[in-house]
Amino acid sequence: MNYVPGTASLIDDIDKKHLVLLRDGRTLIGYLRSIDQFANLVFHQTVERIHVGKKFGDIPRGIFIVRGENVVLLGEIDVEKPCDTLLQQVSIEEILEEQRLQQQAKQETEKVKMQVLKDRGLSIPKADNLDEY
Amino acid sequence: INDSSDPEAEQVSQPEWPENGEEWSDGGEEDDEGTGMDCGLLQAMAEEDEEINVHNEETFGMELDSHGTTEDSSSGGLLQFREPPPPPPDPKPPARHSSPFPPRQMYVPRAGPGQCGRGRGHRRGLGRGQMFEDPAVMRIVQGRPSLKVTQSYFVCENTTHSTFSSFDLFAFSGQYVVLNQTGAFMFPMSRPCPSTPQSLTPKMMQLRFGASSPRQSPFYSSTSDSVQYPGPVTQLHPQHKRLLSQKQRIFPRKPDGWDPYCNLMTAKEKEWITRLQMIQLQSEHPYLEDYYYQEYYRRIEAKMAEEELGIRGKREPPKLTTLYITKTDSYTPVVHIEGSLGQVAVSTCYSPRRAISAVHGEQKDNRQQRLEVLSKIEKLFIVLLEVEETDRMKTAVLSEAEERKLMEETQKKVEHIYSQMQHHNPLDTGGEFLPFLLVSKGKRLLSRLLPFLKNDAALEMLRIVTSNLPTLMSRDTEEALPVLYPPFRNVIGGLTFSQLIKVLKDLTSDSLTLACQNKRSSRIDNSVAVVFRTDTIFQVAGQLSQCSLVEPLLLPSNLLTLFCRYLDKHTVHQLKSNMESATGFLALPS
Repeated sequence: MNYVPGTASLIDDIDKKHLVLLRDGRTLIGYLRSIDQFANLVFHQTVERIHVGKKFGDIPRGIFIVRGENVVLLGEIDVEKPCDTLLQQVSIEEILEEQRLQQQAKQETEKVKMQVLKDRGLSIPKADNLDEY
Repeated sequence: INDSSDPEAEQVSQPEWPENGEEWSDGGEEDDEGTGMDCGLLQAMAEEDEEINVHNEETFGMELDSHGTTEDSSSGGLLQFREPPPPPPDPKPPARHSSPFPPRQMYVPRAGPGQCGRGRGHRRGLGRGQMFEDPAVMRIVQGRPSLKVTQSYFVCENTTHSTFSSFDLFAFSGQYVVLNQTGAFMFPMSRPCPSTPQSLTPKMMQLRFGASSPRQSPFYSSTSDSVQYPGPVTQLHPQHKRLLSQKQRIFPRKPDGWDPYCNLMTAKEKEWITRLQMIQLQSEHPYLEDYYYQEYYRRIEAKMAEEELGIRGKREPPKLTTLYITKTDSYTPVVHIEGSLGQVAVSTCYSPRRAISAVHGEQKDNRQQRLEVLSKIEKLFIVLLEVEETDRMKTAVLSEAEERKLMEETQKKVEHIYSQMQHHNPLDTGGEFLPFLLVSKGKRLLSRLLPFLKNDAALEMLRIVTSNLPTLMSRDTEEALPVLYPPFRNVIGGLTFSQLIKVLKDLTSDSLTLACQNKRSSRIDNSVAVVFRTDTIFQVAGQLSQCSLVEPLLLPSNLLTLFCRYLDKHTVHQLKSNMESATGFLALPS
């Protein structure tokens, strides 16, 4: 139980199923087993879920330790609630393929865009480069 | 968290991360490398571990009893839980052991280089306190092929009063010990690590339990509840503590399907985290840094107190009032201060400021007047421009009739301007031309008009200017007065002597004094020089010296100095003597 009511603590989330979104865009689902003061998380029976369009695929990952700073958001999953039927689960290979295609398409459009900008003498710096600055 | 200002700790070598990371890694890589090499290495490490174990026990094993010193709280104290010492210092005498030592030091013994170390029962580090920033960070990886679990271990304890007879840090692989406030400690044997050498455990346990006799910390709060309280309880608001205790009593047990992996994180660990968080909440200025928490509990407390004493009627909610407002019941929305024009409106939180009913009249009039003058000047300027234009056109060859007509028209215009400037405002007491002259553009207008004026008109203007010279000079913000000098010079050049004297007379002593005392004295000199050309002055002076000054001009003393610049000594002396004889007192010493 939370010893300091009114504050946020992950202690109450222990041993519950969670969904966590990481900074690199990955989505993990697993049972939160352990935490520490930096909000590093230990997940058990973790599954990485990839979404492409209306399809998704789960890749089992086992035990996952997430460094606290890489968490974007974390939320408890209500296991009793019925699952979303809109999304269709597919096999891992298929979803990976879908993801690859998606990435490819994105890169293509990006490339075209950059070229167009370049022709006009403009340039938009990439966000990920700025991060490291 | 760990403000390890412990002098002792600082003397010690800083804890270092073992650089030999690969030796710490678990068996994942071992598979790749092949087992041959590893087996031998690990075995060697294990052997060394054993040696260290034995050594530690020999060195420290028997000293379990003599723990629990009251090292003064000034010594760094335990890393994590640095509570500020409570106000009453610990009255209890130091513990009953002979050798004081820095009690709570978080020590995670360092593995020697090339060793896979294991936490040992290093009490107090014995001066070698290796304070790690976070005990949990220190991961001791068991150097066994099968084990891939890292354990963190720590000691948490009250830093200020060591009433614990024993506190030890020792970590087994797979086990850890935590001491809580009451001194009791748990020994979670529930999850024994398979690789733990079983031989160690019982012995350690024996040592541990044998020595322990937990004591109550003296400053423990009145609500001395059970173990579950997170560490630095003193920082909690008493109301908060009460709430917590209440909640704990009614803490429901949730019936759940048994999860075989549940409680991997033990209560102690959870407590540890909570304690850490609590520590982070500590501050010296709680009302500053954690206002809402303090306020919230204060209000709850007040409410509880009220309930306890019985509800005494419904109280009004506290209003947000400032100190300044003393009378809130009745207020006069408009206050009239004696001697002021208009009224001052008082604005309160009940009604905003009322519009001030100011006394109109003069203020507005002045502004309006000025605007009128300005607009008039503009209009007259246009006429002047036309006059100047026709003047320029005069050079062109025109028939006489046309020329005459043109001249008449021009003259009319000039007169128009003149009259306009003269009779601006019947109410104005300042003089006929003064409003225009006060405006710099008006001066410019006049200066350009002067060549066109007839003699008497020009003289009139000169008279007015000279008589109003002090006013003009004082209010000459844009320093436009010099613009008048050239045309006036011409005018003066055409004056007769008597007229000149009259003009001089008009230059009253006051005006000249003012002119001379003007800050811009150099400019005064210039102006005087300009207005009165040198030869004119010469003439004047000559005349003055000769005549007996029938009408003694009240010349200011410094007028002489002015004359000095333009005249030769002889004339000046004569003047001076004349003046002296006339006025009867010494003129200024020249």
